[in-house]
Amino acid sequence: MIGPLLRNELRMLLRDTRTILIAVVAPVVLVPGYILLTGAVDDRESARLDSATYTWALVGDEIAWGERTVEAALALPADSGEAETIFERTAVMAELDPEAVERRTELADSLLEAGEIQVVVVARQARAEDSLDVATPVLSLRYRSGSDLSRSARGRLENRLERYRETVRDALYASAGFPVDRSDVAVVVDDNVATAAKEGGRFLARFLLPLVVMLMLAGGSIIAADTISGEKERGTLETLLTSAAGRSEIVRAKLLAIIVVGLAVVVVNVANLGLYLTIGILEVPEGLALDLSFGQLGLLVLIFVPLAGLVAAALLLISGFAKSYREYQLYQPVLFLAFLLPSLAALLPGLELQSVVVLVPIAGLSVATGAVLAGGWSLPWGLAAIASTSIAALLLLRWVEIVLSNERLITSASWDEADFRGGAALFPRHVLTWFLTLWVLFFLVSLWFGDALGVRGQIVVNLVGVFLGGSAWLVHRYRLDPVEVLSLRAPGWTSWPAVLVGAPSFLVLGIGVAQLVNTYLFPVPQSLLEAFSEGLTLNLGVLQLLFFLALMPGVLEEIAFRGVLLHGLRRRLASPWIAAIACGAVFGLFHVSLFRIVPTGLLGIMLALVVLRTRSIYPAMLWHFLNNALALVPAELEWIEADVVIPAWGYAVAAAGLVTSFLLLRPAQR
Amino acid sequence: MTTPLHTPAVLVDDLRKSFFEEERGEVPAVDGISFEARPGEVFGLLGANGAGKTTTLRMLSTVLRPTSGSATVMGHDVVTESEKVRQSLGFYSASTALYPRLTARETLEFFARINGYPPSRVPARVDELVDRFGIREYEHGRVEKLSSGMKQKVSIARTIAHDPPVLIFDEPTVGLDVMNAIEMVKVISELKADGKAVLYSSHIMSEVEKLCDRIGILHRGRLLALGTLDELREATGEHYLEDIFVRFVTDESGAAGALPGAFGELESDAS
Repeated sequence: MIGPLLRNELRMLLRDTRTILIAVVAPVVLVPGYILLTGAVDDRESARLDSATYTWALVGDEIAWGERTVEAALALPADSGEAETIFERTAVMAELDPEAVERRTELADSLLEAGEIQVVVVARQARAEDSLDVATPVLSLRYRSGSDLSRSARGRLENRLERYRETVRDALYASAGFPVDRSDVAVVVDDNVATAAKEGGRFLARFLLPLVVMLMLAGGSIIAADTISGEKERGTLETLLTSAAGRSEIVRAKLLAIIVVGLAVVVVNVANLGLYLTIGILEVPEGLALDLSFGQLGLLVLIFVPLAGLVAAALLLISGFAKSYREYQLYQPVLFLAFLLPSLAALLPGLELQSVVVLVPIAGLSVATGAVLAGGWSLPWGLAAIASTSIAALLLLRWVEIVLSNERLITSASWDEADFRGGAALFPRHVLTWFLTLWVLFFLVSLWFGDALGVRGQIVVNLVGVFLGGSAWLVHRYRLDPVEVLSLRAPGWTSWPAVLVGAPSFLVLGIGVAQLVNTYLFPVPQSLLEAFSEGLTLNLGVLQLLFFLALMPGVLEEIAFRGVLLHGLRRRLASPWIAAIACGAVFGLFHVSLFRIVPTGLLGIMLALVVLRTRSIYPAMLWHFLNNALALVPAELEWIEADVVIPAWGYAVAAAGLVTSFLLLRPAQR
Repeated sequence: MTTPLHTPAVLVDDLRKSFFEEERGEVPAVDGISFEARPGEVFGLLGANGAGKTTTLRMLSTVLRPTSGSATVMGHDVVTESEKVRQSLGFYSASTALYPRLTARETLEFFARINGYPPSRVPARVDELVDRFGIREYEHGRVEKLSSGMKQKVSIARTIAHDPPVLIFDEPTVGLDVMNAIEMVKVISELKADGKAVLYSSHIMSEVEKLCDRIGILHRGRLLALGTLDELREATGEHYLEDIFVRFVTDESGAAGALPGAFGELESDAS
């Protein structure tokens, strides 16, 4: 059934004459037109500059010397490779007294301004601002950068003068008894030992992937904009969804259509480029050649397939989210940036394929492309890069399917009511935007006032000002019920022992996971870890440590994240699990230090689950407090060694503890 | 409920659909309705805007998922066998538009194919439809260039392209001029004569009176009455459907209290 769906998409696109003309034909026709036109203009301009007569004037207090020098320089025959240029001294100045320096200068400047002459030679004594360490006369060339002729005159005259200087110098050497044949003087010439093909590979390694990404995005967009958001706008989506075609078939057909069109645009543009290079409209930069083996080509194809899939899935996703064409166009530049930035990874110096970068979709492929073309390719790491992008593509696809299954697609009317009624109904839709605002605030505080506030000051301002203040503002702004939002109710009593068991178990397992990741996935350099733990040493004393880093976060972060944020997410997202994960992700992002995002995110998910299971925020507060206290205090008091090794049975006990704890977390009996 | 003469083509049992609303919590749009539709009959759902007609029909077309209860179309469950359900029905509403850049003929071919009509028989089927609805003249014209009457014909032909046993018409005459509305009613009678089970929703009494074998009166998500026009007349002592409808609805409102609030209607308006 995908066949007819795909054919239908492509047929409709091909019939959209205007889109095809503007998106595909216009660039193909306009680019050579533009190149030819600018080429022709350039040629005409340089012919004009070559055949022009350049008029010059001489001023200054060393006029006799200047006249000799310039005339002698102009008398030199034109060098090979230099166009024969006609210089002519202006006749206007001849009547003026050579001693009237200022009048001559004024007149020359006005002539230069009027375009009567192209360059004024000022012959004068060296001044302090010339930064010359000898007291010789100087020729200074005055010109008008706004005029092509004047600029060209300056350049040509300067060349002549430089060459004259060399001639004079050679003559001086000779007369002083140093017979100099110019060819005896060492001349420095670059000689790159890399072959032109290697250089070409290195050049391509940097720009190939970003180029393909941009072309894919631009090409895929032609059809993506139309494919779901367009169907919504025209009202054909319900027709399609009530047909027997399954959602996943519809999604796959649309994805294929985007890939086909995106690749077609890539091919058309690459072929176009090839054509210009072949017929000579464009020239290959000097010293570069392209010489790809079949093996390299095969690897590139292997790399571009998941790339095409990811680009297409992302385009389809924003098309699914957007209610209309216009909204799609709103998302598009953001998407372009989000893809372009990682695709430039190959430009970063020192980033190798054998590193964490393979886990980052697109960035991994960018570095892998570089490795294929410029050396450094490794099959397992390359495959890891391909896998990470493929997984991202599959996840996005699944997401598109969920979006298409969303009932709001069809029954949008019931949701638009929220716009009328405002208040609490709007909150779930706005909650993430508000947390983004809080996030920005949070960082501005650290950035601008970090030094002034000190550690304690920062903690207080962020926790009380940003988190508590922000939460209070949101509750007020959306007229939310604080008891409901913050889950201010008692949990089942078994939840308390559950927390006492769960928090230390979770912490132990967290250490285990961190070690596993550290050992097997991507080793974090020891120096970084040490620097990081030094940053945590605050010299606050145990009581203050407990207060600022355990009690305050335990209470206030729970109010903001497991209270306000989770309340909004739960009403926004279908499954409580997804809400918990999203809540954890946001929580992690607030602890931006790279090594803390993941562990904090996991803690955030766990705490969200605690709230969802107990329907109360208090156990999560206790858990959070215990977690922070246990992580900090024993190390601070040096009860344990910094690099304590937990035996395997320790992990087993912790796992059992966490499971028991989870089972014991209960809401209060009603 | 009377014992069915034939196996029901559509069987709806205690079907419910709630939407979640922050201020009011779960709001029932369809609140436990049961009915059936048999081959060769037109079953009408009569109700005001927001009564739950569209929500019910969308659940049958599997676009919306029931909150509870069950529904089957030709024996297939709308939740677990949604694809087979969609294969056995044609869904027409004012909000099911056509692709503007396809020709009339391509539209019919496309929908016959994606609805699982045997590919080898598609051209013959399309020819049949083209003749039946008098589309021949403009079968190669793009839909965007057709008049609204022509579009309507193509749209109906599209709905039955795969010759489904069950047809759903959700407020099909909304926005149509008189002649087109009459044409629509005529087509539906023909489909009934072909032995199709037709589900028909409307708030226009005269159409329902003329067309429907059995009528369900839907109000605020609940089925207040169900029966043939004669049975309904008997139950209320009123002759005209309009009066029958008003009688049921006012009785219900009197019992339940105030009228629904301005934003109380969850269902999107089909018009």
